Amino acid sequence: MSESVKESAKHKGTSADSDSVLEIKGLDVTYSTSRGDVQAVRGLDLAVRRGEILGIAGESGSGKSTLAVALLRLLKPPGKVTAGSVMFHPAGRSPVDLLKVNGEELRVLRWSALSYLPQGSMSSLNPVMRVQDQFKDVILEHAPARKDSLGELIPRLLSQVGLEPRVGRMYPHELSGGMKQRVLMAIAVALEPDLVIADEPTTALDVTIQRVILQSLADLRTDFGVTLMVISHDMGVHAQLVDRVAVMYEGRLVEVGDVRQVFKDPQDPYTQQLIESIPRVGRRSS
Amino acid sequence: MKSELELRGVQQRFHARGVASGYITAVDDVSFTLAAKPPQVVSLVGQSGSGKSTIARNVLGLQKPTAGSVLYGGKDIFKLSRAEYDAYRRDVQPVFQDPYAIFNPFYRVDRVLWKALKKFGLTKSRSKGLELIEESLRAVRLEPENVLGRYPHQLSGGQRQRIMLARVHMLRPSFIIADEPVSMLDAQVRKHFLDILLDFQREHAMTTLFITHDLSTVYYLGGEVMVINKGQIVERGPVSTVMHEPSHPYTKLLLDSIPQPDPDARWTSRISVDELEERADAKAAPAPEAPIL
Repeated sequence: MSESVKESAKHKGTSADSDSVLEIKGLDVTYSTSRGDVQAVRGLDLAVRRGEILGIAGESGSGKSTLAVALLRLLKPPGKVTAGSVMFHPAGRSPVDLLKVNGEELRVLRWSALSYLPQGSMSSLNPVMRVQDQFKDVILEHAPARKDSLGELIPRLLSQVGLEPRVGRMYPHELSGGMKQRVLMAIAVALEPDLVIADEPTTALDVTIQRVILQSLADLRTDFGVTLMVISHDMGVHAQLVDRVAVMYEGRLVEVGDVRQVFKDPQDPYTQQLIESIPRVGRRSS
Repeated sequence: MKSELELRGVQQRFHARGVASGYITAVDDVSFTLAAKPPQVVSLVGQSGSGKSTIARNVLGLQKPTAGSVLYGGKDIFKLSRAEYDAYRRDVQPVFQDPYAIFNPFYRVDRVLWKALKKFGLTKSRSKGLELIEESLRAVRLEPENVLGRYPHQLSGGQRQRIMLARVHMLRPSFIIADEPVSMLDAQVRKHFLDILLDFQREHAMTTLFITHDLSTVYYLGGEVMVINKGQIVERGPVSTVMHEPSHPYTKLLLDSIPQPDPDARWTSRISVDELEERADAKAAPAPEAPIL
């Protein structure tokens, strides 16, 4: 344990070592409103290392979801990226600035290199399509070459998240919240992306299902070597799942560090407050 | 006002396809009593598909149980006379989960409050009515001028939920049946809402049945708690006892599954998907819809 703390100290901060999947530099995101501009993300520097699970923590309105949609290029007006660069290093391809790619180039990257795991209880699945058709939709759109292997691929993906092949023939309304979230996870990793951005993947699920989903997320990294960026307001989720945590407050990054260091020895007063404000329920497990 | 609401051996079955028996049992032999005096907060906690919302529908008389009975003041609520039923409908008030679904989007939010005044004959005079509405809005920490005359889409989820509480406040029922009222609200608004419920208990002697899947909410409210799993109440008692010394394995599993905010206390065991899979079947039950008031 002390070894990992030492190691984290070496890597601490935002210094981009050579094996980063994503390097965010000086990112500013602004929403224009009738009462002037609101800066949702301010001068954010952050590097995501290959193979790690990085948590983004912060309260509502801290800018963590805005960060996610900006990285995914899903930011909608009045939101606008006003400064910064996001260098993405997909394995076996040349690095690209995610904020500059457009059209076909972006479409090719999406899903095969960079994918998104939304909050499952929301309307993320098409209610009138069978689960397997939603897989086909994504796979054929982003990797048409895989058409012939679909019949074998879909059941394999489902089993990797602990679902039976028959789930493929079901409609979303036949699935529980936890099953929907696992279907979304299977879709997110269908094309073996380099980086998955998960936005509040367990919010609105009850605790036991949340635990299963967190287990499966950890498995994704072990089994697929996926790099995960997990956005959650729940400090408990970060403590259980991630390797490093980045804490956001009012659009700024106040602290980044190894999960143990952040929880045991928070450097920023806001992080301290955030950790102290966690309600502790009942007895301690273990 | 009757002083007791009792469930006696309530069982609720739903027809279901693809199950050998042809039905699933959502609520299985559930009995408990809610007393109006002294006012109490009783939480019913369980995961999705455990049957907790079905119990709310049974208590509110929206769904007749397939066996057992719901008693209000000792009488079966499905066998009340017209006058008794009216009294029961006033004395037992719901607060539902979805602050969007309960409002008709075409009407201003005032209507929900005026309707309640009219239906329950609180007052005939318009000025007295407005006075009551404003008083109740203030009791739930809403400024009347900020909400009256608005349409539901112009208010936040927290404001809408508090309007439902204002409606409850106007009617001064003995019992509030709150079915996941805070699960769609964020942390700060959630605390606000819970504080109002506790106010109601203290100042207006209202007893609340609080249905939730969130253990930290239960912990915050205190009082009594019942844990439900697969339609059966597996453990009940004061919140402090149940949370600190859970006796049933399911309660232990629930408590252990709260992610501890300590990276050194990570889960060491895995829980299997199979033990949670029965939810797939439970899901076949029709999703309870909140009626538009």
